Amino acid sequence: MLKMTHLQKVYRTHLIETHALRDFSIHVREGEFVAVTGPSGSGKTTFLNIAGLLEEFTGGSYQLDGVDVQGLGDDARSRLRNAKIGFIFQSFNLIPDLNLFDNVDVPLRYRGFPAADRKRRIEEALGRVGLASRMKHYPSELSGGQQQRVAIARALAGSPRLLLADEPTGNLDSLMARGVMELLEEINRQGTTIVMVTHDPELAARAQRNVHVIDGQVTDFDEEPTLKRGAETGDSGLAREGVTA
Amino acid sequence: MEIRPILSALMRSKVSMVLIGLQVALTLAIVCNALFIIGQRLDNMNRPSGMNEADTFWLGSSGFGQGFDAKAVQQADLALLRQLPGVASATTTNSVPLSGGGWSTGINLQPQQNTSTADTTIYLVDSHALDTFGFKLVGGRNFKPEEVTRTTFGDQLKPASIIVSKALADALFPDGDALGKQVYMDQDPPTSTIVGIIERAQQPWVSSDSIENATLVPTYMPYGNYSRYLVRAEPGRRDEVMKLAEQKLSEANPSRIVGRLRSMEQVREEAYAGDRAMAIILGAVIVALLAVTALGIVGMASFWVAQRTRQIGTRRALGATRFDILRYFQTENFIITTLGLVAGGILAYALSLWLMQTYQAPRLPWYYVPVGFLSLWLLGQLAVLGPALRASRVPPAVATRSV
Amino acid sequence: MLGYYLQLGLRSLKRNPVLTALMVVGIALGIAASMTTLTVLHLMGSDPIPWKSDKLHYVQLDNWSADQPFYDDGRPPDQITYRDAVALTEAGKADRQSAMFKLSLPIQPENKELKPFQSLGRVAYSDFFAMFEPRFKYGGPWNRDQDDSHARVVVLGKDINEKLFGGQDSTGRSVRMDGSDYTIVGVLDAWNLRSRYYDLTNGAFADPDEFFMPFTTALDLKQRSSGNNSCWRSPGDGWDAYLASDCVWMQMWVELDSPARLAEYKSFLDSYVNEQKKLGRFPRPLNNRLLDVNQWMEDQQVVSRDVEVQTGLGFAFLVVCLVNTIGLLLAKFTRKAGEIGLRRALGASRRDVFTQFLVESGVVGLSGGLLGLVLTGLGLVAVRALYEEYQTVAHLDWTMVLTTIGLAILAALLAGLYPTWRACRVQPAAQLKM
Repeated sequence: MLKMTHLQKVYRTHLIETHALRDFSIHVREGEFVAVTGPSGSGKTTFLNIAGLLEEFTGGSYQLDGVDVQGLGDDARSRLRNAKIGFIFQSFNLIPDLNLFDNVDVPLRYRGFPAADRKRRIEEALGRVGLASRMKHYPSELSGGQQQRVAIARALAGSPRLLLADEPTGNLDSLMARGVMELLEEINRQGTTIVMVTHDPELAARAQRNVHVIDGQVTDFDEEPTLKRGAETGDSGLAREGVTA
Repeated sequence: MEIRPILSALMRSKVSMVLIGLQVALTLAIVCNALFIIGQRLDNMNRPSGMNEADTFWLGSSGFGQGFDAKAVQQADLALLRQLPGVASATTTNSVPLSGGGWSTGINLQPQQNTSTADTTIYLVDSHALDTFGFKLVGGRNFKPEEVTRTTFGDQLKPASIIVSKALADALFPDGDALGKQVYMDQDPPTSTIVGIIERAQQPWVSSDSIENATLVPTYMPYGNYSRYLVRAEPGRRDEVMKLAEQKLSEANPSRIVGRLRSMEQVREEAYAGDRAMAIILGAVIVALLAVTALGIVGMASFWVAQRTRQIGTRRALGATRFDILRYFQTENFIITTLGLVAGGILAYALSLWLMQTYQAPRLPWYYVPVGFLSLWLLGQLAVLGPALRASRVPPAVATRSV
Repeated sequence: MLGYYLQLGLRSLKRNPVLTALMVVGIALGIAASMTTLTVLHLMGSDPIPWKSDKLHYVQLDNWSADQPFYDDGRPPDQITYRDAVALTEAGKADRQSAMFKLSLPIQPENKELKPFQSLGRVAYSDFFAMFEPRFKYGGPWNRDQDDSHARVVVLGKDINEKLFGGQDSTGRSVRMDGSDYTIVGVLDAWNLRSRYYDLTNGAFADPDEFFMPFTTALDLKQRSSGNNSCWRSPGDGWDAYLASDCVWMQMWVELDSPARLAEYKSFLDSYVNEQKKLGRFPRPLNNRLLDVNQWMEDQQVVSRDVEVQTGLGFAFLVVCLVNTIGLLLAKFTRKAGEIGLRRALGASRRDVFTQFLVESGVVGLSGGLLGLVLTGLGLVAVRALYEEYQTVAHLDWTMVLTTIGLAILAALLAGLYPTWRACRVQPAAQLKM
C-alpha cells in the first residue's frame, strides 16, 4: 500500500541543511493500522507530509498503492491525494464558514462526483460518525470530538484506500479521544489502511504495529505483522498483543 | 463551478462582502454617468465648424479718437493684407465660429411677424468670405464684389442678397427650395434674397441650440473705430503670416492698435476649454475611482488569503489543485462583484434620472451599464489575480502545521 | 494614556506598511477630490460683500416683446435700456444707485516707450464706489457734481496705474484714452473680487476692470458698451434711435438700507413701469425684480453646473474611499483579534480597546488629511491650469485647510468606528482558549 525505501528529505536554506529524514524505509501493507511514533522534531510530520503527497522528498523512492510518485506534477499529486488518501488532522481543519455537509463535500467536489452521488456519500459518511442529524450545523457549534468526527467523515466520504491521521486525538480530552480511536479502529476493521502519527505511546499501543522514528530514521521496524488476521476479527485486544509480540 | 458553497461561505462574512459590493456598486454608477458626460463633451468638441481652421487666423484694429476714418482704414488694411506674401485670402468679419462673441437675430418669412421663423448668427463679410473661411458652397453662388454694401455703424442692415448655411435654409424652407427665396432680416421690408447656400457654418456660441444657423451678409461696417479681419494663409505658413500681418498693419497706420491676434486653433481651444477641463477632471476621477476600487479588492483579497491560509492548505491536502484554489478566489470575486454590479446598475440609472431632473441632462444610454459590467468584472478578476495566485501557492503541508 | 495609544497605533501602522499606505492614500485621494471641488464651489458661490449683500439690489424691468419672454421661463431681461437706466438714476429714489456698462477703450500712454493698448473698464455713476466699496490707494472717487457736469475724469485700477505711472500717485495727472484726455482723480488698491458680481452678464470671472469713467462723460462720446447687447426689435438708424430703443445693455444697482426702503423702491419701480406703459412701452405684464447680491448670483448661475457636478462626484468618490478604508481597517483589526483578547485578559476594558483602535484610525485620518491637503493644493493648481477664468476661486484659504484636515480625521474616525466596535466585541476567552 505504502512503500518508502531509503527516503531522504533535506531542507535547505542558504545557510544550513537540515536532514528531516535520512534513509527512511517503511512498508505498510493493505489493511494495516500502523502507528508512527517518536519525539518532537524526529521527522514524524515530515514523513506524514511526504506520505500524504503534501511535500516532495529529496532522495530514495516512494510507491503509493503501486504508483511511483516521484516526478509526479503538482496536479497529478493533488488528484492522487484526492482519490486515494483521507486526512485527519490534529486541529481538525474544518472550514469554519461551511456547514458540516459542505465541509464533507469539499474533497468530493474536487473529485468531480455527480451531485446525487456526493449527497449519498456525505450522508453515509456523516451517518458513520453519528452526526447525520447535524448536517446543517457549523463547526463552531460542535465540540472538539464532534469536529474530529466530521473530519473523519470528510476523510471517509471519498472511500480512500489509505487514511493518514496526524495526532488525531491531540486536541481532545481523554473521553473524546477514546471515542475517536474506537471509530478509527472500526474503520480499519472495514478494510481501510490507516497510518497514524502520534507521540502518545498509549495511543500507539492500540495500533497493530508501531514504527518508531528518531532523528529522521526508522529505528524500530517491526516484523511482518503476524496477527493481521486477528485485527480483522474485530478484537482490538489482539491487535494490542500483536504490537507487543 | 462551486457557486453555492462559496456563496454560503460568503454569507458568513457579510460585512466584507457588502463593503466590496458597495464599492463596486458606487464605482459602476459613477463611472457610467461620468463616462457618458465625457462622451457628450467629446461629441461637442468634435463638431466641425464648417471652416478651414488649420490655416486661418483673425485680428482686430482699433483706431483712436473721433477723427479716425475707420471705413478708409478698413479698405486699406484689406488691400494690404491681400498682397502680403503667404496670404491666400482675407476678408472683414465681425465674428468667427467658436469665438464666443457675435451677433444673432431672428429671420422672418413675413413682414411684421411676431415670432421669428428661425434664429441665426450674422457674419458681416465681403465677397472674399467663402474663400477665406473655407465655407463650402453647395447651392447658388458667391457674393459679387458690387453686392458688398457700406453700412454706417448703428444703422440697420438692409442686405439685398445673403448666403445662408444649409441648416438655416432647411429651417426656413423645409422643402429644400430656399435658393432664390426672399426673407426678412428685420420686421420690415426690404427683403433679402438667398443667393447661395453653404454646407456648414457654426455660430460663435458653442452652446447655442441652433449652432449651425448662420447667415453671411455682404457689407463693410466697422464697429465704431474697430474692424476685424479673417486671414487664410497658404498651407503651412500661418504662423509666419500672423507675425507679418500684425507688423505690417501696425506700420501702415500708427494711430491705432492692432491686436487680438488669434489663430482659429487657439479660438477652438479656448471655446472648448471648459468642456476639455470637465472631461479631464471626470477622467481623472474615473481613473482614481477604478484604482481605489481595484486596490480595495487587492487589499481585501490579500487579507482573506492570509486569514484562510490554513483552510487553503487543508483544501490542497484534500485534493484541490492549484488551479482549483485560484478558481475559488476568482469565483468568489466574481460573485461579490456581480452582486455589487446589480446594485450599481440600478444606482447608475437612478443617478442618471436625478441628473436628468436636476440638470436637464440627457438619459444615460442603456449600453453604458452592460459595458460597465464587463469592465468591472474584468477589473475585479485582474485585481484578485495577485492574491489568488498567492493563495494557489500555499503549500498543502500548511494543513499539518500545528497552530 | 493617549500617548500610549498613539504609540501603539503608529507601531501597528508601521507593521503593515502596504496596507497602511493603501488606507492613507485612499483617504488622501478622496479628500483631495472632494476638497478641490468643494473649494472651487465654495469660493465661486461665496458672498463677495457679506456686510451689505442684502442691501445691494439688482434692478430688472421687463421691457421685452409681448410675444416672447426674454428667458423661456419668463424671467425679465438681465440688463436694462439706456433710457430706463438714466430715468431711474436721475429719479434718485434709492439710498444709492448706479447704472453701469462695460467699455473697451484704447489707451495712448504719454510715455512713448509704451505701445498703445486696449483696456477694459467700466462706465458708472459716482455712487458705484460707495456701493461696492473698492479701496483707494490714492485719491478717491469723482463726486455727483462731476457726474452732472460730464467731467472728463477717470479712476484707474491698480494694475494699469502700475503700467502707466510705475505705481506712483498719479492723481491730478491725465491719461489719454481714445483720443481724449481724462484727469485721474483716484487710483484703486488691489481689488481681488472672487467674482465680478456687479456685472454677471459679461462674465462672473472676467478680468477685473482696469478703469472707471463717469456715465455721463462716456455717453457724450457716444461710446457703446463692449459688453452684451440684446434687442427684441430693431432700434432704427443712428445713435439717438439706439438710446431711445428697447435694446438692453446696462446693469443697474441700487442700495436700499432697510426692508422698508426695499418695499418703497419696489412700488416706485411698479409705478414707473405703469407710467411707461401709458407711453406704449413695456407690453408684457408687470415683472420687475430686485434681487440682492446672493440671489442675483444664484439666478445667473455663477456656480456653474459643471462645478456642482464635479463637487458631487468628488464627494461620491470620498464615500467610495471611505468604504474602502472601512474594509481595510476591518481586515486589519480582525487580524488582531488575538492581541485584543490578550489585552482584555490583561485587564483592558472595552473602552480602552475602543480608544486604542479609534486612535489608530485617527492617525490614519490625520496622515490621509495631510497628504490630502498636499494633493488638494496640486488639484487646485490643476484646476487653475484647466480653467483660465478660475484663477481667483481655485485657492486654499485657512478655512478650507482646516476643513480638509477635519474632514479627513472625521472620515477616518467614521470609517474606523465599525471595525473598532467589532474589535471591542472580541471575547477575551475565545482568543486564548488554545
